[in-house]
Amino acid sequence: MLSINNLQASVGGKQILNGLDLEVEAGQVHAIMGPNGSGKSTLANVLAGREGYEVTGGSVVYRDQDLLELAPEERAREGVFLAFQYPVEIPGVNNAYLLKAALNAQRKHRGEPELDAFEFLALVKDRMKLMGMDESFLNRGVNEGFSGGEKKRNEILQMAVLEPRLAVLDETDSGLDIDALRIVAGGVNSLRSADRAIVLVTHYQRLLDYIEPDFVHVLSGGRIVKTGDKDLALELESRGYDWTREAASA
Amino acid sequence: MSQTAANDNGAAALSAAETAFRQSLAGPMVANATVSALRAAGRAAFEATGLPGIRDEAWKYTNLRALARRAFAHGGPVPVPDDAAVESAAIGGLAGPRLVFVNGHYVAELSDLPTVSGLDIASLASLIQDPEAELPENLCRLADPGQHPFSALNQGLLEHGVLLRTHTGTVISDPVYLLFLSVPGAEPQTCHPRVFIDSAVDSSLSVLEHYVSLGSSQNLTNVVTELQLDRGSRLRHYRVQDEATTAFHVGGVFARVGRDARLESHNLHFGAALARLDLEVALNQPGAEVEMNGLYCLGGRQHVDNHTRVDHFAPHTRSTEDYRGVLNDRSRGVFNGKAIVHEDAQKIEAHQSNSNLLLSEQAEVDTKPELEIYADDVKCSHGATVGQLDQTALFYLRSRGIDAEAARALLTFAFAEAVVGRVELEPVRRRLETAVAGALPDRSLIENLIGADA
Repeated sequence: MLSINNLQASVGGKQILNGLDLEVEAGQVHAIMGPNGSGKSTLANVLAGREGYEVTGGSVVYRDQDLLELAPEERAREGVFLAFQYPVEIPGVNNAYLLKAALNAQRKHRGEPELDAFEFLALVKDRMKLMGMDESFLNRGVNEGFSGGEKKRNEILQMAVLEPRLAVLDETDSGLDIDALRIVAGGVNSLRSADRAIVLVTHYQRLLDYIEPDFVHVLSGGRIVKTGDKDLALELESRGYDWTREAASA
Repeated sequence: MSQTAANDNGAAALSAAETAFRQSLAGPMVANATVSALRAAGRAAFEATGLPGIRDEAWKYTNLRALARRAFAHGGPVPVPDDAAVESAAIGGLAGPRLVFVNGHYVAELSDLPTVSGLDIASLASLIQDPEAELPENLCRLADPGQHPFSALNQGLLEHGVLLRTHTGTVISDPVYLLFLSVPGAEPQTCHPRVFIDSAVDSSLSVLEHYVSLGSSQNLTNVVTELQLDRGSRLRHYRVQDEATTAFHVGGVFARVGRDARLESHNLHFGAALARLDLEVALNQPGAEVEMNGLYCLGGRQHVDNHTRVDHFAPHTRSTEDYRGVLNDRSRGVFNGKAIVHEDAQKIEAHQSNSNLLLSEQAEVDTKPELEIYADDVKCSHGATVGQLDQTALFYLRSRGIDAEAARALLTFAFAEAVVGRVELEPVRRRLETAVAGALPDRSLIENLIGADA
């Protein structure tokens, strides 16, 4: 589904990714771990097409297309979803409107009929139940006045409504207390399926107690330096990241 | 202020507009002595100052050259627009009385005046020829002709307009709709209507003043509104200026707010080539409160100048102000907001904010929030911003599949909606949302947003 080859990228003239390789197949869950500054969030933002993240080399192929050629909205319509590390507050644009506009933009792109207000509400209320969210939130501004936990939950709700093929979750666990973490993880787990791939970008192993990954990669210095299964995450938790760097340079 | 200030080279010749104004002011006397006296005072005040020029501090950013060139005709025959044109200009769906004015003249045939219990409505024109008619004591006393040349001109030509008075303790739920239509004639017309609203003790009322052109009028509307809020009263005052982008519009709203009374002012501009509004509120007694919402959505070469002033004369008074501008093309906005906390006005709150969104590199805004504080136990804040759309929010929307143009339109709409959303009259809010969308380059992209509350 996703094939990243020798990806190099810079932010503000500073080289962050230095030849990153990653293969993700449908049905898989990959965890990308690494210390601060290793390039985790840069990878997530490059995949979503954020301005200011300049690709200086390498390639990203998503479902036989050059992902880097697509505008952010085209990527989204092709089924790529980024759950933001810091979801943005947009006062004046209500959640229901955003969800409906986003969903119908995708459906239109796929040649499917747009949902009417009734069908849309039925769908979104069902997904909100899954995320333990109150219906009143639909008429509030996007993330406006939400707590950190509510914002992250809202990201997963969007994901549950949009049903992406490839979901990239950027530090979705940061700032969550244990109850919120359980709900968020429950939402993600319910979206695991044979035709969907999930990439979890995280600093801590904690999230992986709730969402069991098929692969764990360690990112360091802008490259993947080690790949393993879920036990690698546990090892990182007990030993820290330093040994992986030494292992990589050895 | 010099007599020739509108004439930039300082030559002694009066501008075409001013010459025409002076001729109009020398018009015939009226039967009502009070009106005659008010007119004479207005005329004297206007003749003492003449049209303001950019050397006057209050007019520094608004050049009246384009206005001054035109010899506006006054008091000619009133064209009668057909019903369909009136109804398409009017905001439909509002319950309550509707008064329609054409080029300042009240037109009974187009109006709808059901009896509203607890509310007196009178057309000013019907009173001025009546020697016995009693006029409100404070008519022309809330607006100071010495400070405002256009108000002086309006007062000197006092004839048309409306007087509204609530009865003590009455809550009037249906809004009063004042529709001012500007209709072009052979030459540019001017009109000088006056609105006087007396909110009696413990009463509650909503009034909408709506200014629209039929056709591409180059008329000048010069209107003065006086608002008197007695103890414990509540007045919601909506003012929507949506005249043709070729028109001239000057307005003054002057309010006096009494003990525990509350004024809500909504002031929205979409139209006119040149518009200027002075909003002045005196919080005279403890507990007096004002909320000021403002929006200007401009494009082309439109120029809109809002000057607001709040005087906190008494302790325990409160003012909040949120004015927003959306400026496209080569349009220009001016905001000057003054809050003055007078001596002994302790325990007051005054908050003021002006934010501007520039959608084009040629658009321009001059903003100046000012606080003058002569008391020491007060809570005050003020601030102004001028900027472009938030890039992070833009990316967030695009990452959800919304294309860049639609995302920009959506964020712009949301910015204006913060002000528009405070309008409680739903048909008015819908019309405003449509007007905001219409001011955007790509309205079709957000048309389904209007009324899209899920």
